[in-house]
Amino acid sequence: MQGLILQMLEGTIVSLKVFFLTLLFSLPLGFVVAKGKMTRIKPIRWLTDFYIQIMRGTPLILQLIFFYFAPFYLFGVSYDRFTACIVAFVVNYSAYFAEIYRSGLQSIDRGQHEAAKVLGFSKAYTFFVIILPQVIKRILPALGNEVITLVKDTALAQTIGVAELFRVAQTASSREFSTVPIFVAGVFYFIMNYIVSRLFTLAEKKLGYYR
Amino acid sequence: METMLRLKGLKKNFGENAILRDISFTIEKGNVLSIIGPSGSGKSTTLRIITQLEKADDGTLEIGGRTLFRSYDGKSVYPGIKEEREIGLMTGLVFQSFNLFPHFTVLRNITEAQRAVLRRGKDEAEYKAMELLKKMGLEDKAKSYPYQLSGGQQQRVSIARALALDPAILFFDEPTSALDPELTREILKVIRSLAEERMTMAVVTHEMNFARAISDYAIFMDGGVIVEEGKPDELFLNPQMQRTRDFIASFDEA
Repeated sequence: MQGLILQMLEGTIVSLKVFFLTLLFSLPLGFVVAKGKMTRIKPIRWLTDFYIQIMRGTPLILQLIFFYFAPFYLFGVSYDRFTACIVAFVVNYSAYFAEIYRSGLQSIDRGQHEAAKVLGFSKAYTFFVIILPQVIKRILPALGNEVITLVKDTALAQTIGVAELFRVAQTASSREFSTVPIFVAGVFYFIMNYIVSRLFTLAEKKLGYYR
Repeated sequence: METMLRLKGLKKNFGENAILRDISFTIEKGNVLSIIGPSGSGKSTTLRIITQLEKADDGTLEIGGRTLFRSYDGKSVYPGIKEEREIGLMTGLVFQSFNLFPHFTVLRNITEAQRAVLRRGKDEAEYKAMELLKKMGLEDKAKSYPYQLSGGQQQRVSIARALALDPAILFFDEPTSALDPELTREILKVIRSLAEERMTMAVVTHEMNFARAISDYAIFMDGGVIVEEGKPDELFLNPQMQRTRDFIASFDEA
């Protein structure tokens, strides 16, 4: 049992790596995509829209396979499966985050931009100091949902052979002819998501000082 | 008398619609101009063009001797971002919907632009903000957030926010339209005291008695043109045009 827990902790570290690396890249990239979807330049808007449609319209598991195998079939180069996994997750999650950001940005009253403009704030200052904090407050619940989904989605990384938590559990399960490891993994996921949801509740409380 | 603002031949279209056909007026330093007229007459658009929230299509505008746009070949030409920004700092605008920053305290709403735009120090900005809050009778609200204030209080904070940048001319875009009569009186009192201090202002308003009492000059706009203008007593009490009479009469009925 002790060996099993140790193995699963190792798998958890891989899962957490996928989780944090995905957030690290897709949270900022989502903003770029959101800007692309909101731009007045039509080709960029169409392209961004097409990209978001594909990412949301096809299974993540398929996207993982695509990003791992496509370079090989198209250019004859293969690369590290972990890298492929991160690329797929980042590209997928950026699309979802972009839509959350867009909803937040569009929910801010136009008067906020106008007041900032009349007071002489620069565009960058207006965005980072006036608009962004208000956007973050509004999108926190939706963002929390998505981040919790990401914790569970990391289990898909095994599709291209990344030895994350669920893969370790499944391997152990078939080796020991027992479903126990699977349920232990379930507890692991639950704990991770409990922490995530607590953090989001905390953040919402912290930003609850104004309406 | 020194002219603070001179607008000549302003035109503005939104798509096919001509919103402003030919608007010209001047505002002398220390004077108050009131602009009245029905919804959609172009009053707000005029203020929004002067305060650079919209671009003019044609016309010439000088503020404090500097040119924001000049009519050239049937189009208005702007001087470039730097000059536009500097002219923008000479104008302040108070909105109908206040547009305070909800995540800042009252104090920070008033100090933020002083610090970030005018590069004033913290102490100087806060001193100035507190002076203005005192003037507005809100010095005890410095630490409050906008949502904790009544509409009238919020509007007074937004006036303080605009005044903190020492604008040469202050514009009001229907500053009381979102307020009930009691709160409206609060705001009108503030604007009146600014007028007594010879603050140069232009006020778009539906408060006819107020406009008549405080302004040095009044304009009635309809359909993107100035239908009638003159001294407030003449315009309000003895309008020459039928359209003006109808409009002013509609307020007496209500």
